[in-house]
Amino acid sequence: MTDESSDRIFAERALKRLPAEIPPLGFEAALLSAYDAWNERRPQGRWAAFRAGLNQFSESIWPGAPAWAPASAFAVALLLGAGLGVTLPSILADEQPAFSLEQPSAFTLSAADAAQEDM
Amino acid sequence: MHDPDAEDVAKAGRGDRDAAARLIARHSAKLLTVAGRMLSSRAEAEDAVQEVFLRLWTHAGRWRPGGAKFETWLYRVMLNQCYDRLRRRPTQPLEEAAEMADEAPLPGAGLDDGQVGREIARALETLPERQKAAILLCHFKECGNIEAAEIMGLSVEALESLLARGRRALRARLQHLKGFAGDGP
Repeated sequence: MTDESSDRIFAERALKRLPAEIPPLGFEAALLSAYDAWNERRPQGRWAAFRAGLNQFSESIWPGAPAWAPASAFAVALLLGAGLGVTLPSILADEQPAFSLEQPSAFTLSAADAAQEDM
Repeated sequence: MHDPDAEDVAKAGRGDRDAAARLIARHSAKLLTVAGRMLSSRAEAEDAVQEVFLRLWTHAGRWRPGGAKFETWLYRVMLNQCYDRLRRRPTQPLEEAAEMADEAPLPGAGLDDGQVGREIARALETLPERQKAAILLCHFKECGNIEAAEIMGLSVEALESLLARGRRALRARLQHLKGFAGDGP
């Protein structure tokens, strides 16, 4: 038998000789009443449920990060998207050629021109 | 990996008292035993376990199964509580330590079961805290080396080394009890 395994057997035997630790009467009840106290202080209601749902959602997209991190990433993405959505069409419109086959330029004949054409 | 506690932790976090009671019934006694042996003080161990469960309730709502096993987390919190309390204790003056050592019975003195138990408890108490934690987790929590290493945040090799040193030191401190409980002549 190696020294290490005889030390292990010795320690196991020694620890078995230690007097048993029995939890004091009412210990579990005290832990449970601490739970009740915590549960009473715990924020409840719709707002708490909403926050919990939001936290769960943010955990699923960015685990471990505080709630503001995915919220700000989402806000920045939304602003960027909205900004591009507003500015890009007008930039593209400026760059459009005067005439195109897909979109013929619209013009109307004024009443005077129409009369001249009839002559 | 199935975690038998995961469901109860989630339920307790949502205010389910029965789930909380089940978690307490399953874990409090063993936590108290390990904390009691770590701290050598029943009252302090009870406080430490209370604190562990308070932390559990506040984190239960955010517990996500799939990561570390719940029990591993629970025992890690308990060990950290014990380390904190041990470090907050005033260091024992040298003269006092010498006096305590003198109380040990002489080799060969006849000891009854209660005295043997107290001798062993005292020897355990004097082990360095990490060696003591490794021995207690493996013996009282009956966890394997892999789980104990995970709880202590160590590699399995480091835990095995701690265990080997702890057991050797325990044996050396109990030399005067040679022959107890069937230990060879």
